[in-house]
Amino acid sequence: MAQIEVRNLSIEYRLPKGEGTFTAVDSVSLDIEAGEFVTIVGSSGCGKSTLLLAIAGLVPIADGTLTIDGDAVEGPGPNRSVVFQEASLLPWKTVLGNVRFGLEMRRWRQGDLSKRAMQYINLVGLGSFADYHPHQLSGGMRQRVNIARALAVDPAVLLMDEPFGALDAQTREVMGDELLRIWERDRKTALFVTHDIDEAIFLADKVVVMGRNPGHIKDVIKVDLPRPRRGEMLDSDAFAEYRRRLRAHLAADMATMHLVREAV
Amino acid sequence: MTRFLRSRQTLILGTLSMLGILAMWQLSVSLGLINPFFVSTPSLVAQEFWVQFQNGDTMRDVSATLYSFVLALGLATGVGIGLGVLAGWYRDVESALEPFIWFKYSAPTVAFYPLFIAWLGYGTPTIVAIAFLFALTPIYANTLAGIKNVDRDLVRAATSFGARPWDIFLRVALPGSVPIVVAGLQLGVGRALTGVVVAELFGGNAGLGYSINYYAQHLQTTKMMVSIVIIILLGVALTQALAFLESKTDAWRVTPKK
Repeated sequence: MAQIEVRNLSIEYRLPKGEGTFTAVDSVSLDIEAGEFVTIVGSSGCGKSTLLLAIAGLVPIADGTLTIDGDAVEGPGPNRSVVFQEASLLPWKTVLGNVRFGLEMRRWRQGDLSKRAMQYINLVGLGSFADYHPHQLSGGMRQRVNIARALAVDPAVLLMDEPFGALDAQTREVMGDELLRIWERDRKTALFVTHDIDEAIFLADKVVVMGRNPGHIKDVIKVDLPRPRRGEMLDSDAFAEYRRRLRAHLAADMATMHLVREAV
Repeated sequence: MTRFLRSRQTLILGTLSMLGILAMWQLSVSLGLINPFFVSTPSLVAQEFWVQFQNGDTMRDVSATLYSFVLALGLATGVGIGLGVLAGWYRDVESALEPFIWFKYSAPTVAFYPLFIAWLGYGTPTIVAIAFLFALTPIYANTLAGIKNVDRDLVRAATSFGARPWDIFLRVALPGSVPIVVAGLQLGVGRALTGVVVAELFGGNAGLGYSINYYAQHLQTTKMMVSIVIIILLGVALTQALAFLESKTDAWRVTPKK
């Protein structure tokens, strides 16, 4: 049995002013094994973030089942934590305060919270910034805090919703390397949503390609590149082949999107 | 030297224009253009200011006005923040309070003045009641907005870590609304002072507003000007104190410097 099992999952949003519902995710099935690093890639509006938030327990499901270690997901739980696209840090708290905040909300009882928080702040390389407030940090540093906060509560599954989406290309690459370095330590199950094809391949054991209208899974591609991953791999023939396949999928999706637009 | 001047341009120009007006005021009387009986002069006002300061009139008026002001602002802060928090958190409370706030915004508060005099008589209770109503609305409205417009991303993040509604209220909504509540208090301070002075003008038996009215009726323009100057100084001091408090609580709102 896979650690995360998604079966015929549908998610609907209620449209404003009682105009009915909008299907964001339509009958999706997916298995994620323990210790697997899975990325979900797709154009905007394909429901990739919605699917991740449903697994986080932050979005109600309309139909189908969703289990983690055999238990149905009915809300947020201590076995999962989320790294959001917006760092979502409390602006009035320091880096240390923010990482502690996750532990406090989890009602973490083992040992000294500040000590544990500091351990993870050091892990993401912000040891000397513990007393800084979020507005004093760069976007990349804020996302490091976001990651430290998510890891400190020791989740079985780490869910990441386009965490590097707002960063520039260079910072993004550095953060990808850093994330893998941290992940290699204990190889927790990781689910990572992105719209960046290279990022999706570079990080993943398995890339899930989603399409739109309504959100569905088009393909699941296993990535057989050796770990630890290195920057040079981006230039390899194997990587180019994965990139070509993903691009073809997404291009097809974009094409239908334009057709829909012209029809309207 | 030029750099010194340029960096303080606003301050220097502001001071110069103030001094210019004072000089014109003084000159226009000295040259016999205007009758000092109606406008007094800066030098007379300064002298009278010193006299009133020494004979205790200033102290008496300022303490009477400040007493009403502190009571009114204290009440408005307590009630405004209390109701604002409740209404921001519970939709039903907001709906129930809506018509009152709406009336309060639409109708001038001074219209209630005769009613308060009938109920509470001339003096401090009426003055406090009017000033309380003056100050209440911005404090309530800002607190309501602060709690209600809690950052949804922060709520979602806290929820993902297992925060319960009470945690969200205490740890996210309340601290998050501090800067906007303080901004509301800043408005409230100005309005409470206005309320006190207006109420003293019409129905007081002490205080700066009462003195202004008293001296005006006795055609003592210079003495009246002194009370007006003191009100201005008081208003500036109180607003500055609140601005300082705001800058302290608002530090984390500063936009990040790239």
